[in-house]
This record gives sequence, structure tokens and C-alpha cells, in this order.
Amino acid sequence: MAQHIFNGLVGGSFLALVALGLAVIFGMLRVVNFAHGAIYMLGAFLALSMPSFWWALILVPLVLAAGGMVLERTLVHRLAKLDPLYNFLLTFGLTLIFQDLVKWRFGVQSTPYPTPGGLTGSVDFGAFDFPAYRVFVLAMAALICFGVWFLLSRTRVGLIVRASTERPELTQALGINVGRWVTPVFGFGCALAGLAGVLAAPMRAVHPLMGADLIIVVFAVVVIGGLGSIFGSVAAAFVIGVLQALSEAYLDSALVSQILVYLVMAVVLLWRPSGLFGREESPA
Amino acid sequence: MRRWAILCAVALTAAAGCGGGGPAGSGSGKLSDGKVVFGVLNDQSGVYAQLSGKNSVEAVEMAMADYKAKYGDKAVVKELAVESVDHQNKPDIANAKAAELYDRKAVDAILDVPTSSAALKVADVAKEKKKLYFNITAATTDLTGKACNKYTFHYAYDTYMLANGTGKTVTDQGAKNWYLVYPDYQFGQDMTASFEAAIKKAGGSVVAKDPAPFPNASGDFSTYLLKAPSLTPKPHVLGTMQAGAELVALVKQYNEFKLREKGVGLAVGLMFLTDIHSLTPDALAGTTYTDAWYWNYDLKSREFADRFQKETGTRPTFAHAANYSAAMQYLEAVQATGTDNADEIVKYLEGRTVEDVFLRNGKIRAEDHRVVHDAYLAQVKPSKEVAEPWDYVKVLKTIPAAEAFRAPSADCKL
Amino acid sequence: MKLKWILLPAAIVFALWLPFGLYPAVAVEILCWALFAVSIDLLLGYVGLLSFGHAAFWGASAYATGLIAINWDWPFPLAVLSGAVVATLIAVPVGYLAVKRTGIYFAMVTLAFAQMVYVIANKWSSLTGGENGLQSVPRTITDNFYFYYAALPIVVLGLLLAWRIVHSPFGRVLVAIRDNPSRARALGYPVHRYKLLAFMLSAFLAGLGGGLFAMGHRFVSLDVLHWTTSGKAVIVVVLGGIGTLWGGVLGAAIITRLEDFLSFSGFDQIGLVTGGIFVLAVLLFRAGVWGTLAKIPARLSRR
Repeated sequence: MAQHIFNGLVGGSFLALVALGLAVIFGMLRVVNFAHGAIYMLGAFLALSMPSFWWALILVPLVLAAGGMVLERTLVHRLAKLDPLYNFLLTFGLTLIFQDLVKWRFGVQSTPYPTPGGLTGSVDFGAFDFPAYRVFVLAMAALICFGVWFLLSRTRVGLIVRASTERPELTQALGINVGRWVTPVFGFGCALAGLAGVLAAPMRAVHPLMGADLIIVVFAVVVIGGLGSIFGSVAAAFVIGVLQALSEAYLDSALVSQILVYLVMAVVLLWRPSGLFGREESPA
Repeated sequence: MRRWAILCAVALTAAAGCGGGGPAGSGSGKLSDGKVVFGVLNDQSGVYAQLSGKNSVEAVEMAMADYKAKYGDKAVVKELAVESVDHQNKPDIANAKAAELYDRKAVDAILDVPTSSAALKVADVAKEKKKLYFNITAATTDLTGKACNKYTFHYAYDTYMLANGTGKTVTDQGAKNWYLVYPDYQFGQDMTASFEAAIKKAGGSVVAKDPAPFPNASGDFSTYLLKAPSLTPKPHVLGTMQAGAELVALVKQYNEFKLREKGVGLAVGLMFLTDIHSLTPDALAGTTYTDAWYWNYDLKSREFADRFQKETGTRPTFAHAANYSAAMQYLEAVQATGTDNADEIVKYLEGRTVEDVFLRNGKIRAEDHRVVHDAYLAQVKPSKEVAEPWDYVKVLKTIPAAEAFRAPSADCKL
Repeated sequence: MKLKWILLPAAIVFALWLPFGLYPAVAVEILCWALFAVSIDLLLGYVGLLSFGHAAFWGASAYATGLIAINWDWPFPLAVLSGAVVATLIAVPVGYLAVKRTGIYFAMVTLAFAQMVYVIANKWSSLTGGENGLQSVPRTITDNFYFYYAALPIVVLGLLLAWRIVHSPFGRVLVAIRDNPSRARALGYPVHRYKLLAFMLSAFLAGLGGGLFAMGHRFVSLDVLHWTTSGKAVIVVVLGGIGTLWGGVLGAAIITRLEDFLSFSGFDQIGLVTGGIFVLAVLLFRAGVWGTLAKIPARLSRR
């Protein structure tokens, strides 16, 4: 039991990192970045071209942050004043482009990536032992989620981001210049997805569609948690990760574990349409 | 205003473009137009692009060149061509493109077609158009069972062959208790059923079997790998039916969870040379699987593999060799009968014994159009035993053609 | 006004000529996708809801139509109609939950539910054939050239239905809800119920298209339910022109023709081309092909 819960938390780590980036961007720009899954995928592929895993862990998020900022300035920004759906569509189109570019360059056969040296062993938890790398992934995810929480709650940037996430109209009305933080926040969100991609490379299959498959689950996760709530998105990600692991381990049917996240989403929509931790939307 | 209407009409016409035109002919083969066209319909950008893909087109071109060289002036076929189409593993595209190849491109025989769903569809089209189809890379036994037809031949492997080779042999070698993990869709389910039957027949038992999500969005198999050593009785071997990218992920995680050290071996349902290349042999060292053909099996295979490498830069998988063989056997049949009429060719091929670089002790069964041939039980070598690039496996034993495939099914009515 | 009387006959002549100018299988494909696109446009253009999960209805109807044709051998228009009814029924729970959210949330929720339908269809292989799909759906009109003319009336009826909905009092309420939901509610319109009804009608149209698609291919595969199918439908609508109905038809013709061309040209990266065109359309031609063309006469007459 304990080992399956632990394993679920590891699985939830990827959902959490991607959902966190998605939520931060959404908070600042009101944009749901469909390409977030593709950026996760790009992170994994960029890791392949780095001299070592440890370099990738530092450089790939930086590269993708820069790429994200360019993207925001050149494309996303142009549609900022329009219905957010246009940016959703734009990033969907970008997803197709990114996927096919990577397919073109790397093919679709998944590419191997070795477990980084120093993390090949396993950690003994008494009741069970667990591959050291997976323990590392969970630790990293926890560290980053905590770090982002710290940034949001203890710094001025965080205050602005949080305010504009939770009360966008009010923040604008108070005359806070939200605009200058838009581009860096977009880059930061992309960096988180890229980091998740780097972490995924040694333990998951690296192939061009790895992000597209993930992003739909992440969408369901953020609907459950409430996209407006950064904490809610992260919490929902870990909960879904654990539930999935447990249902896979103890139920005979693969169907349940696969549709579990959507069933939870349906229940949440019935019960609390704005998500478990979400703020009420203006009535529509 | 009128200008606007004209503009619109032009735009609409441009949208439609200039296609074929007119109703499609029903497409009964005109014989001896002196030209034979092959259609290689396969995955050129997806998960099966490496193991077959464009290099299968090269293989067919090699067969065409060999045919010309062999018969020279006496060749019945003066003009040879090959059309290649990417079906992206989508059955609806395969369906439309197969019809187009036969109708618009005057293709005489379609080759390859990975993914069972696409292959079954192409078999339907072949039946309707009364043109030939040699399946190579789809594994479903339905092609020689309830979906068989007069114009379709099944080359290379199928789910029965894979299960029977690997399941039986590994059990015979002492791994009595199995834990099966399979992707939860048709191929995985069929494979698991076949494996179970083969394991039981050999005196083994299946301790547990788990369907894994397909497609597996997370690429994560850790739940099953955690479960494996804690099962009672403890399984000797984990049998995985995952293919392509999912197989790669599972094997990677198998090593991470150190299952071999924990006493749980690994058996793989379907594996291609390109999978081993992608994972590196060390990740799979010691793994046993069934192969339809191996490039370094003997000098004859090697000679083909050398030529293939010169053309493509890589060693051939069994799919490449089988595409070569199918094209060659078709040309031989045209040469012998002097016609490209599909019915004549079928009559000629049925029941024939054949031998070439791919088909060892080959026979084209008349009952169900299964092309039977020797298969091989192979084991992946650790990298220190790999003497040259791509020489990743050693052949443990040859499974004779008569045992490798199932007996003709009663479901098949040609 | 005059323009309509030029365009309508032109469109009819064009529709009748299509299978002569194109490979008939491609022509049939265009018909199906035209309906699909119009169903998306009905929601997106007139209710302001972007469904990113319409493959669920298109695909459910394709399966239902295929199963009916295989098991009961009903005449194909009846099978297609029944398939569309099945799609409409599935739209009830999905729509009921989805219309609780708007905007991007609506897109994400529909996408997620469609993925669930995909997973279930994949798993329920005794019914759907799983990865093998439904093979050999029977059809009396075997030649696609003639099947095109058999399918055309159904598509025309579907398009008329869409046109009728949009120009009915019901349609005007929908537009009012799109433009100002709070006011519509204040005026006493049950907003959720209107949206749900529109969602069901849209699912019905998508179902008609999906059923025809199944009959056209005589085969149903899991791809009909995949999220890329939903995505392609959205691309078709945006490229054609949102909120125009006709735009979807035009977009369907362009995208289908383009994909057919690409897959024979040997260029594998179809997503690169369609994705690129789509991104350009979103950035620069948000009115779509139809919307951009429609502006031309106004500009000409201004001169």
C-alpha cells in the first residue's frame, strides 16, 4: 500500500509541475496554454542534446523560458486583447507544429535516455525500497512546488501574480502594472513544463506525442482543482496521481484507472463547477 | 458584383483542385500491359516508421532490380514501378489510399501495411477490387481467420507465432510462473490469450495478468513492476506485450526497479531489431523473443543485409526482408504465368513451396493463404558480446515452419 | 440579397460537379467534414462555446451507424439518422456538465470528456472491435461516385437545419446569450437549458456527419474519437470562418483536399502544414476564408 501511494505521488509530480506552469500562466494572462504539453515534450528532447542530465536540469528550463518569452512577445501578445479562446487556438496550432518538427527531426521511435549517474541505485524505506531516481523526482517536484509557493506568498512579484490570478479585475483597478510581469511569468511557466520534461526523460518514453497525451489529463486535473487556484491545481495533481496508482494496483480493470480522472472531473463539475479550490466565475 | 461571383467560383474550383475525374472504374485487372506496379502502404512517420517505413520501399526496389538482373531480356515485365504511401497507422487513411492505389495508380499488389486495423481494411479493399495484397507487418491472425480472402496473403509473423515461440520455449526452460502485462487493446489481448494457452500447454502457469492502459498517457508502468516481485507464487518471468515506444518505456523501468536482480526475468511478446537498437542491447540482455528472420543468421541473409545496408545505412529488420521476399515472389509468379491477372497469380501461388532469403522452408498454404516458414527463438546479447554494430542477438533455435504457425483455421473461408 | 441568388446556384452546381472533378472518395469525405464543421460552428459562432471534444459525437454516431448497418442491415439514411440520435443522447450528460462552464473551461471539459469516450470505446472491444475497428460495414451503393449523390441530400438537409436554427427565434436567443449572458438571464431565459439544447443540436449534426463518414468508409476506427479529430474540425471552422456556417463547408473542402494532396506528395509532416496555416489564420485572418472573401464585395462597392 505505502509503496503504491509513494509511486502515485511520483506520477503526480509530473502532473503537478505541468499543472503548476499552466496555472501560473493562466493566472497572469488568462491564457490556457495548449502547447504546455508540447513544451514538456520539448524539454525531454532538449535533455537528449545536453552533455549530461545535470546540465540539462539547469539549462533546459532556461532555454525554454527564453523560448517561452519570445513566443509570448511575438505571438501570444498579439492576441492578448481578444477572447482568450484565440490564444487557446493559437497554442493548439503551435502544438501541432512543435510535434511535427520533433517528429521530422527525431522520428517517432522513442529515444533512450540513461538514468543519471549517482541515482541508479535504490533507496530503502524499510517496508519497501524504491528506485533512487524516482525519489529524486518526487523531491524535486516537492521542492519546486514549495519554492513557487514561497515566491508567491513572500515576494512582491508573488503578491502581484497571486492578486491578478485570484482577483484580476481588482488588481488592474488598483493600478498595479501587471503588464511588465506577463512575459517573465509566461517564460517561467514554460520553464516548469520543460523541467518536468527533463525529469521525465530518464524514466519515461521520450517521443513526440508524450506531451499531447499528458496535457488532456492535466486539463482535467486543473478543472478539478480549479484553474484559478494555483494551490488547487497542484493538490489535485497529486491526489489524482495517487488515486490512479491505487486503482491500477488494486482493481482488475484498466478502464477504471484510465477514466478515473474524468469521472472525478464529472463529479466535481456536478458538485462544485468552479473546481475544488476555484473561485466562483462571474455568472455566465 | 459579378466580379465577386467569378472570384468565388475560382476559389471554390481551386479548393477542389484537379483530381482524377469521373466515376471510378470497377478495376478488374487488365493483363499484360507490360507494367507491374507495387504499392508499399505503411507507416512512414509514426511508431512503425523505423522497423518498416521507407526502407521497405528500398527493399521492394531491391527485389525489382534483382528480378531484372535475373531474367534480363526474358523478363515478362518490362516496366516496374513502386508507389509508396504513408497511412500514419490510421485505418481510414489506409482504406482510402488502398482504393486509390488500386484505382488511380494502377497498383497490382499492395505490400506491408502495419497495424492490424489498417491491414484488415486493406484486405477488404483488395477483395473488393480483386487485386493482390501481401500483408507483412500486421500481426492479427484474423487475416488468416475470419477476415481471410482470396486476394490476401499473410507473410512474416502473427500473434500465434510470437506467443507460441516465446511462451512455450521460456516455460520449457524452467520459467514456470508468469506475470503478464499487456496493453489493453486488441493486439495486447490477443497476444495475452495466445501466450496463456502456450504457457499452459508447456506446463507453466500464469500467476497474474494485468491490462495496462493503452495508449498509456504517462508512459509509466511502475505499478506493475512494484507488484511483480510481491505476487505469490513469485513469478519467474514478466511477460510484456507492449510494443514500440511503450515497450521501450517498460524495459527501461524494469531495469530501474531492478526486477532481474529480484529474480523476475523478462520475456517480450513482440520486438524488432530497431527496438533493441533504440534501447541498447544491455537494457535487454538475456531477453528471449521470437523473430521471423534475422539478418546475421547465415551467409545468405548476411549477403542481403550487406546490400540493404549499402542502400539504407542500416541493417534490415524482418519486415524489410519480408517485403523484399513478397515482391520477389510476386514477380516470379508473373514471370511463370505471363500475366498480372490477380486470379491467375493466386492460382499459381496457392500451395506452392518457396525458398528465398526470407522464406526458409516456405510454403504458401492454399487453405488460408498463410505463408509459413521457419521462425527463430532469439536472445539479446549483452553489449560486450556484440561483435559488430546491429548484431544484437544470437539465435537459440530454429522453430520449423510446420510448428511455428497455427493450423489453418476453420473460420477462414476463402 | 442579389449575391445570395448568384451564390446559391453556384454552390449547387459546384456540389453536383464535385465527384467529377475529384476522386469520389475525397468528395464524400468533404461532405462529411462539412457537416462536422458546421456543427462546431453552430456552437462556436452562435453560442460562443468552443467544443474541443466533438469527436465524441461524430465518433459515437459513426460506431452506432456502423453497428446498426452490420447487425440489422437498415437502409443507410436510417442508420445514419439513428447514429445521429445516439450522438444526441450522449450529448445530454456531457452537455449538462459542460455548459456549467464557459470559455476555455468549456473547451477543456469537452476535450476531457471526449477523451473518456475514446478510452471507453477502446476498452469495450466486444462492441467496437477495439483497435481493429468495425470492419466491413455493408453498403448497397458500393461505388463512391454514386454514394456521393446518395449522401448529398442528407448533408444538404443537415445544412438547412443548421441554417434554420441560426435564423430562428431560438437562434437569436443563443446569440443574445453569447453576447451578454447576464442580460439574457435577467430577461428570464434559462441560459443553461438553451445552451444544452444548442449543444445537443450541434451533436446531432456532428452525428449526421459521423454516420455518413462511417458509411462512406464502410469502416469505423478509433481515430474517429481521437482528440486530433476534434482538433481538425476546429481547424476547419476557424480556417473557413467562424460564425458563417458556409465557412465550415469551404474549410472542409480546403483542408480535405490539402491533406489528400499532402499524403500523396510524400511530405509526411501534415501537421506542420495544417498547423502552420492554422496559426497564420488565427494571427492574421481570424475572419477565415469565407469571412475575408465576404468583405471583398463591400470593399469593391465602396470604391
